[in-house]
Amino acid sequence: MTTTTTTTTTLVTPSDTIAPASSNVMRDSLLLGGRAVREALRTPDSLFPTIFIPLFFLVVNVGQASRIFPSGNTPFLRGQNYGAFQLPASLLLSASFGAAALYLVEEIEGGYFDKLRATPIARMSLVLGRLYAEFLKTLAVGAAMVGLAYLFGIRVKSGIAGFLVLLVLVALWAMVFSGFMQLVALRSRSAAATQGASMVFFPLLFLTPNFVPRGQLSRPMEIAATANPVTYVMEAARSLILEGFNGTALLRGFAVVAVAMALMLALSVRMVSHYD
Amino acid sequence: MSAIVATGVQKTYGTGTDAVVAVRGVDLDVAAGEVFGFLGPNGAGKSTTVRMLTTLMTLTAGTAKVAGVDVAADPHGARRKIGVALQEAGLDSRQTGRELLTLQSRLFGMTKPAAAARADELLTLVELDDAADRRVKGYSGGMKRRLDLASALVHRPEVLFLDEPTTGLDPASRLTVWEEVRRINRLGTTVFLTTQYLEEADQLCDRLAIIDEGRVVLEGTPTSLKQDLQARKGLAAEPTLDDVFLEATGRTRERSAGDVKEI
Repeated sequence: MTTTTTTTTTLVTPSDTIAPASSNVMRDSLLLGGRAVREALRTPDSLFPTIFIPLFFLVVNVGQASRIFPSGNTPFLRGQNYGAFQLPASLLLSASFGAAALYLVEEIEGGYFDKLRATPIARMSLVLGRLYAEFLKTLAVGAAMVGLAYLFGIRVKSGIAGFLVLLVLVALWAMVFSGFMQLVALRSRSAAATQGASMVFFPLLFLTPNFVPRGQLSRPMEIAATANPVTYVMEAARSLILEGFNGTALLRGFAVVAVAMALMLALSVRMVSHYD
Repeated sequence: MSAIVATGVQKTYGTGTDAVVAVRGVDLDVAAGEVFGFLGPNGAGKSTTVRMLTTLMTLTAGTAKVAGVDVAADPHGARRKIGVALQEAGLDSRQTGRELLTLQSRLFGMTKPAAAARADELLTLVELDDAADRRVKGYSGGMKRRLDLASALVHRPEVLFLDEPTTGLDPASRLTVWEEVRRINRLGTTVFLTTQYLEEADQLCDRLAIIDEGRVVLEGTPTSLKQDLQARKGLAAEPTLDDVFLEATGRTRERSAGDVKEI
């Protein structure tokens, strides 16, 4: 059964086909991200809540409040219709419908996650791969939503450059949100717990200046919104649509994304490294 | 030369009063080029031991070297030298067989053309050429198992770990997997195999160890273990590996009898 003498040389790894031993976070993440993109394209039904529910909220909220806030008499709309004010909330809602964590649970349960863990890739790329796909998916969905809003007269005041910054901001936020959901998935290894956790994070989207600017909220809501980091992401996105480039708002929005991203990545890498 | 050396390997889940000891100090020495069987009843610690040896689980105590690399000190180095096919065929059902093998090859550092060539080579090896561009979710259990086996071989590992590779397969698929294991071993790869099927161990393994309640209770070649039992019990006919297994973990039958009595 055991005849090692004749063909042992087949085990020698050909040096021209195998890269050096060091793992490359970016390369590995892109490889796993490419797979996740393929997966998303093959399950288009998973995009349904990402697009439909935020648009539903946009239509309903604008329908309910647009007569209270007519564009001509409402200074905070800066000449646009109420839909322009609501659009950032819908974009952020869309960014929070990522399926990355649920796919991860599926992989953990099916054993493929262990297969990936048994490869010599950087542990961080196990986390970043799917987040990269979430980033791309949110860019595409965000562009489609802004394009649709354009048909209803909503304009991005900051122009093409601002439109791109808006998409990047929302897509980075989608990575953060999905990253935290992945953390729950890694911890719980349960689809039910992961879905439940998204319901815990969900209210944060509504403890924001969702319907009116922060200064016009009731005092308790204003305090809650000020303490809520999502507020600053929403205000940064809103500033790009209504005002143009507002340095302070953008700085705050991107700072929140950067801090949340760093925290999420640190926790995720720790979790994957200690995953038994 | 040893392909696997484990010394006092232990695994404890939880702490304090909730602590469960799954593996209680396993020592193993598997020679390069062997097919080594690791047998035991359900919950004996087989899979936990495999997961520790393949870097998927931390060791609570002890040391383990696979292909000369300490799995705790240099897990990355160990991963480059081992192939793993776990109990459930760990596959991504939304990818095709070819995509899965190509990705796996690339994760082991291969260039794109090399990965594509290696995927082709392995698809032929496990006779999945015809199904290569179909999504894995449409594969039968046997096809999935063969693809899983192929994915464990992309980087030409020195040591291949197979955790119950034929569980749930029909007899024909089981024979196909046996053939693959023999072929892989003929190419020089050391195979560490866990199984609940004693016939499988008898057919495939050069040597085997039986683990029970987290401890190795018996070790040797299938022939020597059977002869030893025959001599000890003074049996007229040579016992089967089933007899060896039941004798080594004999309390299983006693316990079953005990359960009946309790009823």
